[in-house]
Amino acid sequence: MVDEPKEAKPKKRVTATRAAASIGPMVKEFITSTLQARAEGKQKLAYTFIVCHHEEILRAMDVIPIWTENFAGICGAKRDAERFLQRAESLGLSRSLCTYALCGIGFDQWREELGQMPPDAPWGGQARPDFMISSGQILCDPRTKWYQASQQFMPDVPIYNIDLPYPLFQRDQDHREVWGYYHKYIVKQLRGLVSFLEEQTKKKMDYDRLRELVDLSDRTWNLIDETYKLRRAIPCPMGTGDAMNTMVPICFMMATQRAYDFFVELKEELEEKIAKGEGEVEEEKYRLMWGGGLPAWYALSNFNYFNSKGASFPVETTYRMVAPLYEMDIPETKDPIEHLAWRWLGYWTFWYDRARKRPGSEPDVERLINWIEEYKIDGVVMHEAFSCRTWHVGLIWQLHQLSKIYKPIPVYVTGKDGKKEKVFREIPSLILESDIIDITSYSEVDTRNKIDTFIETLESIRLNRAD
Amino acid sequence: MNERKNGSLNLVRSYYEDYGSRAKELVKEGKRFIGYICSFVPLEIITASGCSAFRIRGDVHEAITKGDTLLETIVCPYYRSCFDLSVKGRYDFLSGLVIPHGCDSMVRSYSVWSYSLPFNFFHFVNVPTVCDDSSFEFFHEELNTFRRSIEKFVGRTISDDDLNQAIRIHNENRDKVRTLYELRKKDPPLISGSELTMTLTVGSSLPIEEANLLFDQVLAEVSVRKEPPLKKGPRILIDGACIDNIGLIQLVEELGGNVVADTICNGARDFFPRTDEGGYPIDQLARRYLDKLNCPKTYRANKTGTFEGDIAYRFWDIGTYAKEFKVDGAILYIYRYCDPFGFEVPARKAYYQSIKIPLLHLEDIYSAGTLGQLRTRIQAFLEMIG
Amino acid sequence: MGFFLGIDIGSASSKGMILNAKGALASYELPSGGDFKKTAERIRKELLSQAGKEEGDISWTVATGYGSKQVPFANEVKSDIICHAKGVSFLLPSVKTVIDVGDLYTRVLRIDNQGNVNSFLLSGKCAGGSGRVLQIIAKVLQVKVEEIGELSLKSKKRVDFSTGCAVFSESEAISRISEGFKREDILAGIHRALAAQINSLMERIGIEPEVAMVGGCAKDVGLVQALKEMSGYEIIVPLNPHMTAALGAALMGLEVVESKLMRTDDNEKSLRRGP
Repeated sequence: MVDEPKEAKPKKRVTATRAAASIGPMVKEFITSTLQARAEGKQKLAYTFIVCHHEEILRAMDVIPIWTENFAGICGAKRDAERFLQRAESLGLSRSLCTYALCGIGFDQWREELGQMPPDAPWGGQARPDFMISSGQILCDPRTKWYQASQQFMPDVPIYNIDLPYPLFQRDQDHREVWGYYHKYIVKQLRGLVSFLEEQTKKKMDYDRLRELVDLSDRTWNLIDETYKLRRAIPCPMGTGDAMNTMVPICFMMATQRAYDFFVELKEELEEKIAKGEGEVEEEKYRLMWGGGLPAWYALSNFNYFNSKGASFPVETTYRMVAPLYEMDIPETKDPIEHLAWRWLGYWTFWYDRARKRPGSEPDVERLINWIEEYKIDGVVMHEAFSCRTWHVGLIWQLHQLSKIYKPIPVYVTGKDGKKEKVFREIPSLILESDIIDITSYSEVDTRNKIDTFIETLESIRLNRAD
Repeated sequence: MNERKNGSLNLVRSYYEDYGSRAKELVKEGKRFIGYICSFVPLEIITASGCSAFRIRGDVHEAITKGDTLLETIVCPYYRSCFDLSVKGRYDFLSGLVIPHGCDSMVRSYSVWSYSLPFNFFHFVNVPTVCDDSSFEFFHEELNTFRRSIEKFVGRTISDDDLNQAIRIHNENRDKVRTLYELRKKDPPLISGSELTMTLTVGSSLPIEEANLLFDQVLAEVSVRKEPPLKKGPRILIDGACIDNIGLIQLVEELGGNVVADTICNGARDFFPRTDEGGYPIDQLARRYLDKLNCPKTYRANKTGTFEGDIAYRFWDIGTYAKEFKVDGAILYIYRYCDPFGFEVPARKAYYQSIKIPLLHLEDIYSAGTLGQLRTRIQAFLEMIG
Repeated sequence: MGFFLGIDIGSASSKGMILNAKGALASYELPSGGDFKKTAERIRKELLSQAGKEEGDISWTVATGYGSKQVPFANEVKSDIICHAKGVSFLLPSVKTVIDVGDLYTRVLRIDNQGNVNSFLLSGKCAGGSGRVLQIIAKVLQVKVEEIGELSLKSKKRVDFSTGCAVFSESEAISRISEGFKREDILAGIHRALAAQINSLMERIGIEPEVAMVGGCAKDVGLVQALKEMSGYEIIVPLNPHMTAALGAALMGLEVVESKLMRTDDNEKSLRRGP
């Protein structure tokens, strides 16, 4: 690892859209409002995780979710995670574990020890919850372990752990053969959550309200999909840098009118930009896909650095946690809980059929291929965050498999006889390495050197294209 | 086979050194082996299909040379080693591979394994992370899916009788292991920690009937020992995941400790829980593999409202074995990048304190090269408690 | 006719070269030290004096390497990967795969016969896959870095290292010394471990012959031999493998100014003879 001086405050990333610029204050307001709710004590606060398809249930019960990964991300973005990470380490937790969780546990332990917020806590700190709702799904062990570890320091705060599995892709098995019992199980798990919340809040679930909220978030899902598809335009009006802001309503505000309205506005803004021919970058030369990995929250300005080289990011696999419901092959149901469970299964199996049809493909690879074509992508960028296995194991292989089964770039090469011949080459890719919030793993010099080289590679491919 | 009567431990050692050698011989005779990783794979279903289960093992002496081409280095180092050996063809004699939902490293790399290895049969068993009525129901279905999948592969149905028979023979295997552990209760133990771990590790590479026979022979050989293999020393419990190489245990014993108990996956965690007999076999298997395997991967709700109550419930096995085997100290040995165990370190430490067992916590990668570093710390620990 | 300066500020050592279309006039190498700016100035001064030129005679300067952005007098900054590719392709036009083993990173590039980079991969964060591990081990064994290659080739019984991580390798080496293993056997073991890591990068990117190795560590014959054995490929090492990035940088300056490099036999030969 390279020791290099790091600025205490990151350079602010310049956003391309007004909508993305409005996110910062929104998150701050949200954190402040949870602190206020804590002080007032009228509503229950729950620690919980994004992408569990349970927001509708929480909101229908008037429970305020505290997205603990969000707070860790804020600490990272403010370059103020280190002291919480160190605290976690001093408890015996290894730095090789999920640093979101380490940051959260370190923070919780400190807050509980003091009986108040740690000094200068980012944005006033993370409120103490009334209860914690975890789910490791089948992809994130730290999520099932995090709250259990935090509970050591606040044993009076109960945990409800939901199991939310989905059938893993297996080439020779149609997931529909098994998803019936998956659905049944998930429904029971979610109903268990309802009972837990009823017990905690001493209120009964209002199923009409739940149905309305599910409908609202379904409409938001479709709207997000339509909005993001506008980014197919050339030049691209909004890049992944902005999407790392607009993930906030997707991940933290689902099932609220505000999230829906946000995307109405964003959609209008993008349509305006497209009409004017305005792109994320002034002169778009390369269209890149953020093809895997969570971003380094303290180094989002690297997206601006890419932009400065004429590279735009029309699409990303990260935090696009929605898929168009009308394209999902899931049964109709009037029961909102049953619908949530189907939507969960529909989302995770979205690419299965297509992947099964292409030899050598696999859902994650299939999504890359489809989006490379839909968004006219010239190169794939991924980020390997060392502390997170959930999103970062399998990326090397995905690129390997992608280059094996998909070669779309025509180039001329000089053969042995000196004659030029046309061959097809794979999409070039770049893997950046650091972490989500542990800045000690990050080197700006190295990262930018890699980006420079990648851009130069893209340029030479652009010049040598045979079409 | 004669070798066995006189030197079953020698045979164990030779199988251990050349892991899979017996399976390879049997494959030549037409026997089929299905590889598996992690204790969550229901071996009885493999046995009932007429195939034999073969536990994929890593090798601490072998540098990872191929695996990194396809798999990130942030994967659990033990698992990386298993993958590296597999892509290098070490286990090419297997007919298939089963991977369960044991941890993120397994789930997220399932595609990598299934596209990189030359087997005809792959299956992923989705093990729930909670224990309640709905998860048993689900797991019951999931085990039936596994049963159908392997039926399709072997081309014959697996009856409930087949399963009951397999449950019986695997329980016998577990009973024999229990008896082997009884030999550890003597002071000094009649069987050393490295002999025991070697025996169990080897057992997982043999057809279950052969493993049972071998365990009987080891039992016969060891129980009549006049001289114990180790000098009296601090009695140590090893706490951790799958430690399928005896390097650490050997080091402890070389430094004067007696390894007499463990919670490891290729030890008590997997071999102590029996499958209940009678009733519907798939139900019994679901119950054993979901509830009886005490792995940090499974979330167990805190029903007491206190931290002390929580850890007493979650880590009951440690306390029970510490008492049963009269343990003087414990080594919590955790692989780097292991999320399920890694997040439990503070709670486990607190638990050891509560039962007044001195603890040495080690974080390591999966490599013989790091033993030198561990030596001084283990030595100091043994001196401290000795 | 213009003169072109290429300067490569690496994390451990810095190199510079002045050339014109006829050939190389001067080359120089210095440890990078803590002050990259000062190092760059010193290299330029030395090169100018070797070549008998003044600052004003240099038509274009391209800086590259870890500290390239701190070279105050550079007209342009290029990534070292691109520069290595240019340099190697100029010296060895049939090379398709380039391995650069530097102090901090190992890089593997696939290039075409024009010296364009098609794809590249860097070793992971851990310094185990780079030259630094060799320096650490050399220090532990009290051998000069320049001598480890020859010494390693003398090994008759290689010690197998089970980890490629620099931190662990150091302690593993210390335990091996205390166990009485020979230095050459330990070195051969480290070379093999490092070769395994480099080979895994090569396999990830896909190897296409011919294969060349550059960077400071390419001078280590022990490492080159280990990589040959590991990968099964012949590995070509240019005469001054540590200078290829500086050469490539200077060549890129020449390309910029002349916009097209006239590759007559003459100038090619004179350049290939090297400084």
